[in-house]
Amino acid sequence: MKQVGLIVSGTCGLAIATGWTATGWQTTLATTGQPAGLDAHESHASASLLGQFRTTFSGWLWLRTDLYLHNGVEMRRLTEQEVAGDHRGSSSIDNHDHALHDDSLITTVIPSAEQDFRGIFGDIERATSAYKDMTQHTHNDPVSALPLFRLMTWVDPSFLPGWTTGAAIIARDRSDRSLEKALGLLREGLAKNPRSIALDGEIGYLLAARRRDFRQAVHHLDRARIQSLERAALSDDEFEALPQIYRWLSLSYRERGMLAEMYAVLREGVERFPEDAVLQRLLESPPTPLLDSAGVDPPARR
Amino acid sequence: MKLAVWGALARGVVLESIRRKDLWVVAILGFVIMLSAGALGFFGAQGLQVFVKDLAVTVLGLFSTIVAILTTCRLMPEEVKNRTLYPLLSRPIDRFDLLFGKLIGAVLVSWIAFLALAALTSIALLNFGVRFDLLMAQYVLGKMMGLVVVCAVSFTLSLFMTPSAAATLSVILAFGSTMIVRGLVMGYEQASPAIQPLFKFLNAILPQYGLFDLGGRTANIDWGPVPAWVLGALLAYMVTYSGAMLAIGWAKFRKQAI
Repeated sequence: MKQVGLIVSGTCGLAIATGWTATGWQTTLATTGQPAGLDAHESHASASLLGQFRTTFSGWLWLRTDLYLHNGVEMRRLTEQEVAGDHRGSSSIDNHDHALHDDSLITTVIPSAEQDFRGIFGDIERATSAYKDMTQHTHNDPVSALPLFRLMTWVDPSFLPGWTTGAAIIARDRSDRSLEKALGLLREGLAKNPRSIALDGEIGYLLAARRRDFRQAVHHLDRARIQSLERAALSDDEFEALPQIYRWLSLSYRERGMLAEMYAVLREGVERFPEDAVLQRLLESPPTPLLDSAGVDPPARR
Repeated sequence: MKLAVWGALARGVVLESIRRKDLWVVAILGFVIMLSAGALGFFGAQGLQVFVKDLAVTVLGLFSTIVAILTTCRLMPEEVKNRTLYPLLSRPIDRFDLLFGKLIGAVLVSWIAFLALAALTSIALLNFGVRFDLLMAQYVLGKMMGLVVVCAVSFTLSLFMTPSAAATLSVILAFGSTMIVRGLVMGYEQASPAIQPLFKFLNAILPQYGLFDLGGRTANIDWGPVPAWVLGALLAYMVTYSGAMLAIGWAKFRKQAI
């Protein structure tokens, strides 16, 4: 009886001591900043149950879109062992959905008969499921998935890939009407996500590359660049979009004859992305007929 | 003679299900389907036909499986708990007939629920301009065969454990077995030769519910009907696996002290 009392008091004492010192562990357990793998969109939604539902639903729709582009054939990423074992992904001949995944790194969830140990079970599954050999496969027209992108952005306006990929699909049609529609969608997204680097970058790219409105392009691209410098942390998607933003911003400055700004942007870009060969090349030998007339020294001589 | 016994027992299960207003759950779920369809219609379903069909087969599969499991898992434990098993066994029927008749009843209730939900879903799909084809009929047939296996597994589990435990395990198997099988398929090549027979064994004993689901083909475009041999193979698998489950359940129940 005495031993039981000792065990109970010892356990309670340990629990109290643990609780007392818990604040000291905070820095160890709760890391500052955003956890890896979570982007702004997810942290946005975590504030409320509705937000969580919206995030989950838009993420689910995103995956379904990929599925519909493959006409229901479920695909998965190759495992590290498969990549190391020289397993070839189901590369495509058009890769319409490059925004969703890299076709060389995916394969069908249901394996081919040669790679399936299940015998007749495998044969039946290949017959009853949406399965076909996806080597050098094609995709359904991504335009058919546009309503889903619209639905994604209705449900969760903070889901940035919904806006950017949807606009990219609309802009694939080279007509002016499609360009205006894509820009309209992106601007709607920007109104709902005014601090989005990806949306500003995408608008800037379309304005520069398609409409050749370099003044407006510089406005959006430079705002994206400044936002990226001000932010403490960037999501993976935003970080990957930045070199492109620097490239198009420098080209837009070049087209407007603002070579000093162009070199400044290129130097900053190379400093932030030293591995980016395009930025490096643009800085070292800017392909511009304006160079001589502007009277600006190339960077190597500065 | 046996047919009359099984028919009477199955009829009792269906009537009991109606008396307990179980099928009201189906009506409520159907109402949810129609409401969701209405909400999608509000947003505009132009170009969303594939998505709507995909959503419909997903919801149908989910709801009908849950109804099947919940209906089946409580059948025998309730007979024991309410002491209604004694008058049943005092009649000239053996224990196998009792189990088989009850299982048929559970299957019928599941089919009624599934077909009612399918009818409501069809109305919603028609509203979105979705056209029906032979593949959809095969989907319904495949799903009905799959529900037989779901009922057989749940029924047998309910003879070995409490209704709650049986229902939980049945749900895990119903929604997890496909995932487990896919994991086995992915891991097989990387597994050592000594472990590979274990993979084959697990694959053989797990219920292959995924084989009965033609939803992926049905929802997407330009997939043709499934060959007749496949439906025959599914029928053979359904009979074999459900028979095995019933045999295991009977082996337990025939010696069970009541």
